[in-house]
Amino acid sequence: MSKDVLVIGGGIAGIQACLDLADQGITVYLLERLPSIGGKMAQLDKTFPTNDCSICIMGPKLFEVERHPNTHLLTYSEVEAVDGEAGNFMVKIKKKARYIDEDKCTACGLCAEKCPVIVPDQFNMGLGTRRAIYKYFPQGIPSVYTIDDSVCRVFQGKKCKICAKICEAEAIDYEQKDIVFELNVGAIIVATGFEVFDPSDIKSYGYGTIADVITALEFERLLNASGPTRGHLERPSSLNIKAEIKQTEKKIKKAKARLKSLEKKNQGSTDEARKTLAALDERLSGLKAKEAALGDVKDIAFVQCVGSRDLRYNAHCCSYGCMHSVKEAIVSTEHGSEIRSTIFFTDMRAYGKEFHEYFLRGGAEYGIQFVRGRVAEINQDDHGRPVIWCEDMDARKVKKLPFDLIVLATACVPSKGIEKLANIMGFDSDQSGFVKTDPNKPTTTSAKGIFVCGCANGPMDIPSSVSMASAAASMAAQTVKGLG
Amino acid sequence: MDNFEPLIAVFSCHYCSYAAADLAGSSRIQYPPNIRIIKVPCTGRVSVNHILMALEDGSDGVYVAGCLKGTCHFIRGNYKAEKRVQYVKDLLSEINIEPERVQMYFMSAAEGTKFANVALEMTEAIKKIGHSPLNKSRS
Amino acid sequence: MNTELRIGVFICHCGINIAGVLDIKGLCEYAKALPNVVTAQANLFTCAETGTSAIKKAVKDNNLNRVVVAACTPRTHEPLFRASCKEAGINPFLFEMVNIREHCSWVHRHNKDAAQAKAGDLIRMAVAKAAFLEPIETFKSKVEPLTLVIGSGIAGMTSALALADQGFEVILIEKEENMGGLLRHLHKIAPANVAASELIEEKIAAIKKNKRIKYFTSAILEEVTGYVGNFSVRFSCGNDSYTCKVGVIIVATGGIPLRPEGLFNYDGKNVITQSELEIKLKKRDIEAKSIVMIQCAGARIPERNYCSRICCMVAIKNCLYLKDIIKDAKIFVLFRDIQAYGVENEALLLKAREAGVRFIRYRPDTPPVVENGKVKIYHPAMGKEIFLPADLVVLSTPIVAHDDAESISRILKVPINGNKFFLEAHAKLSPLDFAFNGIYLCGNARYPATVREATCQALGAASRACITLSHDTIERVGTVASVQEELCSTCFTCIKVCPYNVPYINERGRAEIEPMQCQGCGICVAECPAEAIEFKYISDKQIMAACEALLAS
Repeated sequence: MSKDVLVIGGGIAGIQACLDLADQGITVYLLERLPSIGGKMAQLDKTFPTNDCSICIMGPKLFEVERHPNTHLLTYSEVEAVDGEAGNFMVKIKKKARYIDEDKCTACGLCAEKCPVIVPDQFNMGLGTRRAIYKYFPQGIPSVYTIDDSVCRVFQGKKCKICAKICEAEAIDYEQKDIVFELNVGAIIVATGFEVFDPSDIKSYGYGTIADVITALEFERLLNASGPTRGHLERPSSLNIKAEIKQTEKKIKKAKARLKSLEKKNQGSTDEARKTLAALDERLSGLKAKEAALGDVKDIAFVQCVGSRDLRYNAHCCSYGCMHSVKEAIVSTEHGSEIRSTIFFTDMRAYGKEFHEYFLRGGAEYGIQFVRGRVAEINQDDHGRPVIWCEDMDARKVKKLPFDLIVLATACVPSKGIEKLANIMGFDSDQSGFVKTDPNKPTTTSAKGIFVCGCANGPMDIPSSVSMASAAASMAAQTVKGLG
Repeated sequence: MDNFEPLIAVFSCHYCSYAAADLAGSSRIQYPPNIRIIKVPCTGRVSVNHILMALEDGSDGVYVAGCLKGTCHFIRGNYKAEKRVQYVKDLLSEINIEPERVQMYFMSAAEGTKFANVALEMTEAIKKIGHSPLNKSRS
Repeated sequence: MNTELRIGVFICHCGINIAGVLDIKGLCEYAKALPNVVTAQANLFTCAETGTSAIKKAVKDNNLNRVVVAACTPRTHEPLFRASCKEAGINPFLFEMVNIREHCSWVHRHNKDAAQAKAGDLIRMAVAKAAFLEPIETFKSKVEPLTLVIGSGIAGMTSALALADQGFEVILIEKEENMGGLLRHLHKIAPANVAASELIEEKIAAIKKNKRIKYFTSAILEEVTGYVGNFSVRFSCGNDSYTCKVGVIIVATGGIPLRPEGLFNYDGKNVITQSELEIKLKKRDIEAKSIVMIQCAGARIPERNYCSRICCMVAIKNCLYLKDIIKDAKIFVLFRDIQAYGVENEALLLKAREAGVRFIRYRPDTPPVVENGKVKIYHPAMGKEIFLPADLVVLSTPIVAHDDAESISRILKVPINGNKFFLEAHAKLSPLDFAFNGIYLCGNARYPATVREATCQALGAASRACITLSHDTIERVGTVASVQEELCSTCFTCIKVCPYNVPYINERGRAEIEPMQCQGCGICVAECPAEAIEFKYISDKQIMAACEALLAS
């Protein structure tokens, strides 16, 4: 028997459940698959309807989890097996090797500065880059680095070990192995959250082929001051051109050096080198002209119900999409006074506390245009600008409108690991694949002693997740206190 | 005057602007080394006296950096601070000292860049205004 | 403080993070020469075990009574060093931290001389401040292991039972004659598809049976004083008056559907509300063949500009129950935006569509007009006005706050919003707490909620309450404000400026701040014209000392 609780998932729901229990004097293990706790909320720029900066309000909670005497953080870990029953579960956990001694790492970041391997940054939705040795995000807890062994040179059999040389804290340990261990707990809370629907499945929306069609979560990172553009609202196409310009400039530098050395040596013809340089110069001026022609982002479209309320993909509503689009449109105005936003929606689902008021303010004070109608197709005009085709149901007209940037409010879908977890733990899922609960007991799953909260149970906004997390904590506490 | 390096005192709240300064640090965003942070739990803690004291004691400029409006951890401390900063500005105007020496800024914990920009902006501004007349010990 | 000040300064290399830019040896020499500094030492990593034990050893060897660490940010490392101080026998608040990494070496990498000067200044300011640090103790306050739950709807009853199940005693008060709240009048609950009466009777029976719950009906809350862990409550029940001591309070006072007087020709007979329809459904007293439902009746209009969240689902649910009873019923739902958020709601909406319920959108500028036996509506897809036959018109009215919400808010000293729903501490992260410690919120009193949501919130509020109840005493660090009574001129400034309504005028006619309630922002300290409020954590003397040390003397 055990009076401890395991919380699976270190997003806002898991964190809240963990803190509620810990504050009640119950020992809690908080397990997170990624290197840091924080979940999706940590990736958001602002939150509706207060426009609070997301990481600002979440940061103190992250610290609290780490410092609390009753909590044990198990980051970069996964559940392998669960045996036993309510009051006495045996949970097999795999803690993945970070190749870093967590006690020694001071998160100074020198290793990442010197690491030669550059890969897309998952936290920034691939819009920025990180190194093979990295911190998941700046405010991440635990505040330690992790080596991504899928890309680190050492693990590809190449010579490197630069990070070990630079780390004065001697925290790098390439020999570190995954650890598998068992945990005895009395109750389990599943707070595994959700995944963002991949809109490249909807071919007619052009996501993945048209650079300036992005998802809402990508847009959040573009807005964020600590995001890949440091909060400068730039369209991906312009980022691509900038990257190309940088590359071309590098090539020009090289070509110039080569020309110089050829001239110095005075051997053979320099024609070839000159030609290359001229071609590169021409390419550079072409790119620069293209960049200048793009200008600033001015017209943004938000497309609602992308993969939601659509029987081809997901029948359900994502619950928060209307609100995050209104929020993103409002916040955009802080990034450029000339920015105009249009939201294409089916039903405006502003049903929470102060939501409708927020939506009205978005129209009245921030000039957001609302067009009722489902977007049929997104393609490009001759200048490469994305164009929306949609029937405006109020005007009863088909409209064709170009934008600088199109943001897709993507569906909320079950997290990838949930099916495996359901098999391991023996709880049922609902028609959409979320964890099913007893209609009269909103956090109780079909497996005794296992509770659920947050988006693992279905799409919901942050306050609902937090309320539900406290509710799940209450049920778990009842279970381990053996009175319920 | 060309080499004038002003000294600027910053009252920074624990929850937002101090965290923004930390983020500027971990992002290695470089800014002028002229500011000295005095950390407070909330900018609402900063009184008129504190700001005046910082000026009297030798700083050429003072600014209070709190959370974004509406997001103060203590609900409305930053609004209080803003009022007091305005009060000090008015006071300075009355005695013919440039009110621009004292400013109020709002920033979130995620705005490391803004923290650095504000430090730069304030340093540049005070450089233009020149030495504080209250500061007798420096020349 | 009579004892001689003995300050130790510890400067961290942080590998080359700090030492790569700053001359640590030079800083140590500089620190040693500062007033009251007895020792200054450098560590490779002050936060490592070797670093913290060096601090402890230095405290012992040099008989230090203040510790200053110049390293990284106090936001992450202050707790660690405070703990080291405690282990070394120094009050953890006789510690000061200087950030020479994030605020210096990392941001002035290319200007080493200026960075060095700045680091020296920061250390000098911290040493000056350290001289005025005061020990701060934690204090304890007893917790009454009892909860007051106000309201006995589904939310209040669920909270009460959850707390009792965890072994805590509960006092449940209900202003009506009977427990059960809104659900008493409802027909069935979707998607669970249970009779509301069944659900309610079950809960009422459980409450009546539970020895840990004392319930009072026809009970009116009259007065609440005190603070978390220790509230005094007075309520009346008929002619009797009761007083009790409770540790926490849960507000579950609910809401009520708007009576749509004057809207859409409401008459309670042919034009009724959803609640009235539910009573009819319960009795199976419906003969209408053509039914028109109108959503947002009295909601999302200038005078009541909010969406009541649940009415769309109530309508959809009732459409399905109507279809069960009257197979050939023609039902139209006139809506503005259908709020069928999530998985189950959207599935139910689909089911209603499949069952033949017709949904027609209307715009607020062309609202439906109810006439004798029919409803006129502008059909946006057809682009013209149409008439729908209507034996029965059902208005979906919003949940509004109870009349007594204001008085309860005054008694509890907790805020309500413009629509008179209670206002939580934080819209996102503290949806069930009030800013005032020890009082929690759930159900319709917070905002319209489905049975499922209200249940969830009620369990959540119980969990929040359990945090206090689980401990015999509450411990708090004394980083709070306190009034020096002899200096107080009873000007009410602190009372006006406190964001948490903590200060009050005590029986001696002076302001008093209950330390258990104070959040430690220091706003009152800065505003008090008599400088009568003490704040040991960051005192005026400390701030002044830091200011004075801005310039090297």
